[in-house]
Amino acid sequence: MKDVMGLIYTGENDIHLGELTSQRAVAALPIAGRYRIVDFQLSSMVHTGIKNVGVITQKNYSSLMDHIGSGREWDLHGKKGLNILPPFLTRENMGIYTGLLDALKSNSNFLRMSPQEYIVLTNSHTVYNMDYSDAIRAHVESGADLTIVYSRCQRGEGDNISYLKLDENGKVTSMQIGPSAPTSDCTSLKVYVTKRELLRQLIEQGAANGLHFFERDILQRNINNGSLNVHGYEHKGLAFHIDSIQGYFNFNMDLLKPEVRAELFPKDRPVYTKVRDDLPARYMGDAQCTGSLIANGCKIEGTVINSVLFRGVKVAKGAVVKNSIVMQDAQIQEGAEIDHCILDKQSVIRRNGRLIAPAAYPIVIAKNVVI
Amino acid sequence: MRKKQCVAMLLAGGQGSRLGILTKNVAKPAVPYGGKYRIIDFPLSNCTNSGIDVVGVLTQYRPLELNAYIGSGSPWDLDLTNGGVYVLPPYQTGTTGEWYKGTANAIYQNIPFIAQWDPEYVLILSGDHIYKMDYNAMLRSHIEKGADLTIAVREVPWEEAPRFGILNTDENNKITEFEEKPKNPKSNKASMGVYIFSWSKLKKYLELDEADEKSSNDFGKNVIPAMLGDAQNLYTYTFDGYWKDVGTIESLWEANMDLLEMPMPIDLYDKRWRIYARNPGMPPHCVAEGAKVVDSLITEGCEVKGVVKHSVLFAGVTVGEGAEITDAVIMPGAVIERGAVVRRAIVAENAHICAGAVVGEETGLIAVVGPKAVIASGESVAAGVQVDADAQ
Repeated sequence: MKDVMGLIYTGENDIHLGELTSQRAVAALPIAGRYRIVDFQLSSMVHTGIKNVGVITQKNYSSLMDHIGSGREWDLHGKKGLNILPPFLTRENMGIYTGLLDALKSNSNFLRMSPQEYIVLTNSHTVYNMDYSDAIRAHVESGADLTIVYSRCQRGEGDNISYLKLDENGKVTSMQIGPSAPTSDCTSLKVYVTKRELLRQLIEQGAANGLHFFERDILQRNINNGSLNVHGYEHKGLAFHIDSIQGYFNFNMDLLKPEVRAELFPKDRPVYTKVRDDLPARYMGDAQCTGSLIANGCKIEGTVINSVLFRGVKVAKGAVVKNSIVMQDAQIQEGAEIDHCILDKQSVIRRNGRLIAPAAYPIVIAKNVVI
Repeated sequence: MRKKQCVAMLLAGGQGSRLGILTKNVAKPAVPYGGKYRIIDFPLSNCTNSGIDVVGVLTQYRPLELNAYIGSGSPWDLDLTNGGVYVLPPYQTGTTGEWYKGTANAIYQNIPFIAQWDPEYVLILSGDHIYKMDYNAMLRSHIEKGADLTIAVREVPWEEAPRFGILNTDENNKITEFEEKPKNPKSNKASMGVYIFSWSKLKKYLELDEADEKSSNDFGKNVIPAMLGDAQNLYTYTFDGYWKDVGTIESLWEANMDLLEMPMPIDLYDKRWRIYARNPGMPPHCVAEGAKVVDSLITEGCEVKGVVKHSVLFAGVTVGEGAEITDAVIMPGAVIERGAVVRRAIVAENAHICAGAVVGEETGLIAVVGPKAVIASGESVAAGVQVDADAQ
């Protein structure tokens, strides 16, 4: 797929992720024991053979920049590899994007300078492991102006899920964004395939009309009034929409099922991420661990049940971690107990502390907090 | 090429025949160790942590896997514009060209490589040991003493001294005598095979050694005795950290088991002296319901459904329900099926132990299942036996 470029937008609304995204972009949200969400989009692009990838950043992007670096882990560090596109100020641009359309307008120069004919445009809060090649091929064959990748089994909830209605030829006939009563089971994965030049035209027109939102103002409008020939391509594999704390929690818990892991981490399409050089996880003394995912660098002396432990987590003697997600370098000290908690990076549950949350409402402990 | 103060040369061409089936198809430095490393990660990480950023890796025996592993050197930050890691196989010159005849000859053949960097000092390393060492501290000692050659030594228990190359020194650590495996040692300072030479002296003695047709072109047997004979300034540098030779099946197994000690005798958690490795890129390991893991190291990508006790599991190992692994080293991608039993054993990369098979015994020598070998259901592998996939 030499003639395709990729563009990842990471400036989405993250209000429902609360504390988890107060210090980072959704794209940089740690998931699955050692990854960030953006790893999945980046790896999917790389497995598609896309070499020219732009990442549009908006708020709190330092953790994202730190994570992606030169793009080496994704083999995107070449001469024409990764382009991180932070917001910037110009006379007509405030550097703050109201929506994706603003971000695209701001980066139209990157689009103009890229030589590829086609573009894959994605968001950064949908987790999947996909080779976009089939969607690109379907797009070219269908002769559509733009193709939206959709799913009939996307998991996760939120108020900005978009539903598509398609006719028998795969043409999208209508689009509903966050409807109270959806009339379709096809949800958009917010992965778009189109010609780069056409995207540029849509952006110019939209911006000239003072519009901000790509999906609502460009796609929905043009689909519903029939002025754009938009097709759907069904992604048959799993996809997770991560837009709320509960959705984040459920996604990580779903990973404890082998069939979910097998789909998100197939042997022929590994998910790349920043390497930390931890040694393997170490089980000591009376450690008891069952039904859990454990990353490298963990030291386990206590009990871990039905949980996901990120790199470098310490579970001390007599501590109990149940139904919880513990991010990197967090510590659960001697005799402490947590249940249905999400511990952000470097947080500490002190000796004999107890944090038991109801299953329907996991507690989030923010980064670096000591309890 | 910019001038470098010190260039490292890593001797990685030996077969390591005492590792048997494990080095049948790979060079010894590429042998896996410690759940996620290969032996060569230790000298390479030591170099980068010591600020030595030109490393020549001399390969000869079965180099493909080692070459692929080193790649551009990026895991060790050795992919540089000025310097980096260089794989150096023997090559032809004019009408001649020959294999590396010995350790000294291997360096002799690469004099042009070293000369490109116009260094003051050359560090000679081997890819046989697990240790964390600051070569820069050794270099400072070399410079302070005004030495022509500094040899790193460790003080071994006296009763073990007859197994090593022993250096006798005066009270200032100046070497007076070198004895290979002495029956009655006068010192317990054993050579670690880590040398720092002043480049001009190294070059001179390599050329003299090459001219001597009777020489076996070996540092220990020929070059060092020749320098001592000429009353050159040879000093020892004492290293007192963890150091383990992993040249045999038993010692490789022991070195892995050392990582399960409390506290760990070699601190691999040390953020100031990371040991880097190429990453296989796998998700965290899964310990399933009903599984049990005790006193073990488990790497990313493993799926554990059985019982693992006092063992080291490398990336992507699968352990089926009811399988029992005790005191074992299971290398990347190996599969241990349901109900299989593995004790005191090394199971090499991508080996397959079928349901109900038994590998190793509770006592005695270490059993080894070679890379890609298959042990069928109901079969057993006795202590000390090595199973070769090619012989199956």
